[in-house]
Amino acid sequence: MTVPQPTQEDLNERAAIDRSARYPVMFFFTSAAIWLLFATVTGFVSSLKLRYPELWDACPFMGYGRLFPVHYNALVYGWAMQAGIGVMLWLMARLTRSRIQSPAALIVAGHLWNAGVILAVVAIWFGAGRSLLLLDFPGWMWPIFAASYAITVVWVIPMFLGRRNALFYISELYLIGAAVWFPWIFLTANLLINKGSAPVMGAGTNAWYVSNLIYFWMAPISLAVAYYIIPKISGRPIYSYPLAQASFWVLAVLAGWTGLSRFMGGPFPAWMPAVSGAATIFILLAILATVANLMLTLKGCTKLWEYSPSLRFTVLGMLMLAVYAVLSALSSTFVFGKSLQFTHFVAGLDTLAFYGFFSMTMFGAFYFIVPRITGAEWPSGARIRSHFWFSTYGILTMVISMLVGGIAQGSDLAQWDRSFSISFVNSNAYMMGRVLAWALITWSNFYFLYQLALMFIGKGRKSAGPTLIHAEPGEVPSARAAVGIH
Amino acid sequence: MNSTNFWKLLGALGLAFALPWLLLVVLPYLDQSNASPTLYGEGEEVEGGLLAYPDRNLQRHGASDYGREIYAAEGCAYCHTQVIRPTYAGADMWRVGWGGREEAGLARETQPGDYANEGVAPLGYQRIGQDLSNLGHRITSREEMHRHLFDPKSFDTDSGMPAFKHLYRPAATGEGYAPTPKAEALVDYLLSLKKDQPLPKSVLSGN
Repeated sequence: MTVPQPTQEDLNERAAIDRSARYPVMFFFTSAAIWLLFATVTGFVSSLKLRYPELWDACPFMGYGRLFPVHYNALVYGWAMQAGIGVMLWLMARLTRSRIQSPAALIVAGHLWNAGVILAVVAIWFGAGRSLLLLDFPGWMWPIFAASYAITVVWVIPMFLGRRNALFYISELYLIGAAVWFPWIFLTANLLINKGSAPVMGAGTNAWYVSNLIYFWMAPISLAVAYYIIPKISGRPIYSYPLAQASFWVLAVLAGWTGLSRFMGGPFPAWMPAVSGAATIFILLAILATVANLMLTLKGCTKLWEYSPSLRFTVLGMLMLAVYAVLSALSSTFVFGKSLQFTHFVAGLDTLAFYGFFSMTMFGAFYFIVPRITGAEWPSGARIRSHFWFSTYGILTMVISMLVGGIAQGSDLAQWDRSFSISFVNSNAYMMGRVLAWALITWSNFYFLYQLALMFIGKGRKSAGPTLIHAEPGEVPSARAAVGIH
Repeated sequence: MNSTNFWKLLGALGLAFALPWLLLVVLPYLDQSNASPTLYGEGEEVEGGLLAYPDRNLQRHGASDYGREIYAAEGCAYCHTQVIRPTYAGADMWRVGWGGREEAGLARETQPGDYANEGVAPLGYQRIGQDLSNLGHRITSREEMHRHLFDPKSFDTDSGMPAFKHLYRPAATGEGYAPTPKAEALVDYLLSLKKDQPLPKSVLSGN
């Protein structure tokens, strides 16, 4: 089956949509990228501090207990969410064939969001943090994020309703889901935790929030990207549309139940961690079906992976999502969970979600979207290649150190008749791996940020053909044609 | 998809999410908010003449309410847990002193009431350092607790804990260091960490 070629009228319309998206989307993208740099550097420094606790021990700002939440909040609210919001706006505009109506309001919302992230990071750094993963900022700060998100996402709904495209894409389903779910979980978590009247359920709500942020925001946005980019670049329709829909609804029904398995054996009614664990295991089916569906779409044209940066990053992101789902399901069972709980394994899984699968897919989306909205091509394919390989090795190092280190730490913790500090000493080598991983990731992002900055200031390559990772475009006409489909 | 279908879609998404939202989070939260202390039953003699579980004064020590904020602000919970799991879920009960006063037969896994003084229970993210559920029983001297914060390696050279030197100032006498009010409050909080109050029989049987 071949996809009909777009007419000149279609191309003009797309260009008009891209122009309308240019300023707000680039605003979200570039501020996300700056936060990414900050988050990877603090990730590196906090890992170093964990490995060498005696470093800078007279300085209040360099403690792991402050650096880690600073790093994590910058990574998630600064980078991941802003990248996701930018992608959501552009993708929704393109899929519904609507122009972005109010770029100014979006840019105001973007400033508000960044102000929120700056305030949160400063508050945590200066000792007003709450030690609640991803809800570390002081209790009065949530309305800033809520207001900014409301101003941003409210435009997605009229775009959707005023659609000029008769086709309904699976990506839109995921985008609408993410748009609606995030405020719901964010408000619930903040209001309940600020109420502070049920201490243990407060901690449970926090764990539920983190897990829902992954399954109800990070996963849907990256799946929306994958369901868009993979068919677009391969020029083929989704392998199975019914399967895609069914997996969406499985995720929608089950993801709200996840999260409490983080505290199995904790002071909760036993059914809560059990239900959460079961939900995580069933979600594995949905995620594996989705990833298989996407890979089958690509079947027979895997060679495109060689050339297209968007496809390469997206496919890598999807493979990581599958790995994340498998490992989460394993650690949600008592058999594995009881020795992995509270270890580096769990922390590594969180990083695999927030940095691993989500960021990789976002890079894929950036490589696709930025040339279209700025009207220039990426300056250098070789730098994209470096970005790809350093990211890949960085994340692999991270995940392997954290997961294997977590298993080792878990077995040390279980040896109750030996000194506790053995679990720390034995994990030193793995923590060195974590330091190295953040160094690689930071390095990889320099390639990315440098190129993005060039695109931002209008120093992109002016060319009719897209920038490919490997060969000169002229040498591979088939791939060029495929990648060049707008 | 027209607008009717859109509202149907939103309804379906809402319905799918409302169920876990209510049953897993909101209702259990409100339920726990209304929990009141359980009185000890007839013939249940408890040391110190306590009348009910949880007894919030047992978990209070000096400026421990302020100390809790320091504990959170320094991110202690990123490395220290405060959860003792039942033996089916981990070896916590086997570690000496973790579950409470073993010699008095009081060691047990943690229960929701043990966190009655907290706004949000600091169950912890990772267990890079020791579990602190019953730290107040393991370390009873103020002096020693300060030394743990100021120079953790003086107890265990393998310790992975950073020194919290910024909580201490050079002493006015010119020799050694003196704790700041923050350090004093944090020590109060750490000394207050006790989660082994005997449970009434009605709590144990789940009624």
